[in-house]
Amino acid sequence: MRVLRYLVVVLYFLVATAPLVWMGLSSLKHRDDSIRPHANFLPALSAPATPTDPRFEATLAAYRQLGEVHAGAQQSFWSHLGNSVLIGVLSTLASVALGTCCAYGFSRFRVPGAKDWLFFILSTRFLPPLAVVVPVLIMYRTLDLQGTHAGLIVLYTVFNLSLAVWLMKGFLDDIPRAFEEAALVDGYSRAQAFVRVVLPEARTGMAVTAVFCLISAWNEYGFAMTLNSSGAITVPAYFAGLQGNIEGMPWPQIAAGALLFVAPIVVFTVLVRKNLLRGMTFGTIKQ
Amino acid sequence: MSKAARGSGGLAWALVGPTLLLLIAFNVFPLVYNVVSSFTNAELIGGDSRWVGGAQYTRVFDDDLFGGALRRTALFVVCAVAVEMLLGFVLALSLQREFRGKQAVLTALLVPMMLSPAVMGLFWNLVLNGNYGIVNHALAALGFDPPQWLTDRDLKFWSILMIDVWMWTPFMMLISLAGLSSIPTSIYEAAQIDRASAWKVFTRITLPMCGPVLGLAVLFRATDALKQFDLVMAVTGPNDGATQTLSTLLYQVVFRDGKVGLGAAFSCVILVVVIALATVFTRYIDRVQARDGV
Repeated sequence: MRVLRYLVVVLYFLVATAPLVWMGLSSLKHRDDSIRPHANFLPALSAPATPTDPRFEATLAAYRQLGEVHAGAQQSFWSHLGNSVLIGVLSTLASVALGTCCAYGFSRFRVPGAKDWLFFILSTRFLPPLAVVVPVLIMYRTLDLQGTHAGLIVLYTVFNLSLAVWLMKGFLDDIPRAFEEAALVDGYSRAQAFVRVVLPEARTGMAVTAVFCLISAWNEYGFAMTLNSSGAITVPAYFAGLQGNIEGMPWPQIAAGALLFVAPIVVFTVLVRKNLLRGMTFGTIKQ
Repeated sequence: MSKAARGSGGLAWALVGPTLLLLIAFNVFPLVYNVVSSFTNAELIGGDSRWVGGAQYTRVFDDDLFGGALRRTALFVVCAVAVEMLLGFVLALSLQREFRGKQAVLTALLVPMMLSPAVMGLFWNLVLNGNYGIVNHALAALGFDPPQWLTDRDLKFWSILMIDVWMWTPFMMLISLAGLSSIPTSIYEAAQIDRASAWKVFTRITLPMCGPVLGLAVLFRATDALKQFDLVMAVTGPNDGATQTLSTLLYQVVFRDGKVGLGAAFSCVILVVVIALATVFTRYIDRVQARDGV
C-alpha cells in the first residue's frame, strides 16, 4: 500500500512537471534542434557530431530573440507582455476595489434580495465568453474601445467581479463585527470604520483576491482574441496568432516566452498555496 | 449592527450598486441583444439586417453542426470530469499521510491548473507533435508505433481531453484532499474498534463524508469544461469536425463566417443550457453551505 502510494505520487509528479521542464529545455535550443526527427534532450556546450545524438547545443539565443517580430504578428513578445501586465494589473486593482466595497455591503448591511444578488453575481461566471462577446464587440465598436487597453481592462474588471465579491465576502465575514462596533462607539463614521479598521484587517484577503484576479486576467484568451485582435494584444492571443504562419512555429522563442509568461504565475501559486482551494472555488470552500 | 443597519440603506446600495450595475451592463445587456439579433440576419461586417423570425432557430436545429458540437461537448464534459475526479481522488488518497516535503510536492502538483490553457495548449503542440514531439520519440524508443496525436481524426479529441486532464486533475485532487481532511479521525478510530474492513471504511465513511464537497468539485469542473475553447483553438483550430465544441462552433459561425444572427441563435440555445446548469449549481452551493457551512 505504502509503495503504491509513493509510486502514484512520484508518477504524477513527473507527469505534472514534465511539460514545464520540456519548456525550459526547448527554450535553450536552436530552432533546428527543436524540430529534429531524433530526440535530443541533454543540453551540451557544443554541437554534437552526429544528428542522432541525444545532446543539443544549449544557447540563450531564443531569449535574445524575444525582441524580434515574427511572421504572423506585428510586434515583439516584449510589447505583448507589456500589454498583459498593464491590462492584468489595472483590471485587478479595479476588481479588488469594487469587489471589496460590494462584498462589504453584502457582509454588513441588509441588502434586499442579498442572496439572489450574490447568486446572480456568481452565475455571471458561468457564461461562455463566446456567447456574450458579440454584443460587447458591437458596444465597443460604438465606444471606440475595440483593440484598446481600456476596453480589455474594463471587461476583465467586470469578468473578475464575481470572483472578487465572493472571495472578499468570505474574508470579510471572518472579521469580527466587534472591531467596527468599537470604532463606531469611539466616534468613527461608518466610512471611517471601513477604511481604518476593516480594510487593514482584510489585507491578506485582498492580496489573495488580487492574485486570483490577476491570474484569471493574465490567462484569459476568449475575449482577448476576439476583442483585441487589432491592438493591445495580450500574450495568449499573440502566441495563438503565430500558429499556421508561413515560416513555421519559432518553437524555442515560444518556449522562452511562455516560460517567462508562466513564471510569475508559478511564483504566485507558491505565495497563495494556503488559499488555493478557497480561490479556485470562489470562497465556497474555506480551508 | 442593528443600529448601523437601520437607516443605512443608502450606504449599502452605494457599496453594492456599482458592481451590480456593471455586471448587469456586461451580462444582461448581451443576453437581451442576443435574443433580439437571433431573429435577424445580422452580419459581422455591413450594417443592414432584416427581421427573419424564427428562421435562424430552424437552421440551428436542422443543421447537424449544432447537434454534433453539443454531443462532442457533452462527451468532453463527462469524460473530463470523470477522469479528473477519479485521478484526483486517487492522488488525494495517496497524499493523505504526512511525509517530508509534502507541501512542496503538493504545490508542484497544483501548478498546471494555474497556467494559461491557451499558452500551454500551444506548447503541447510541440510535445505531442507526430514527427518531432518528445512523446513520440519516447514511444518510438520503447518500441511502440507512435500515433499522430494531433492530426489523426479519431485521436485528436482524446488528445485535447488528455491535456485538459493534465491541467485540471490537480483541482480535483485539491478538493478531494479538503474533503478527506474534513473527516474527523475519531470516526476512523471507531471503525477500527468495530473491526470494519478497509473497503467498508472507504465506502461507508470516506466516500459519503466527502460527497458534498466532491459534488461541488464536479459542478465547478463541469461548468468550466462546458466552456471549453482555449485548448481546442490551440490544438486544432475552430473548424475541425472531430473536435468542434460549442464555444469553438460559435467562434467559427460569428468570427470566421460573420453570421451574427445565426451565432446569436446558437448563443441563446447554449445559454438556456448554461443557465439551467448554473441554477442547479447555485442551489447546490446554497444547500451545502446551509448544511455544514463548508
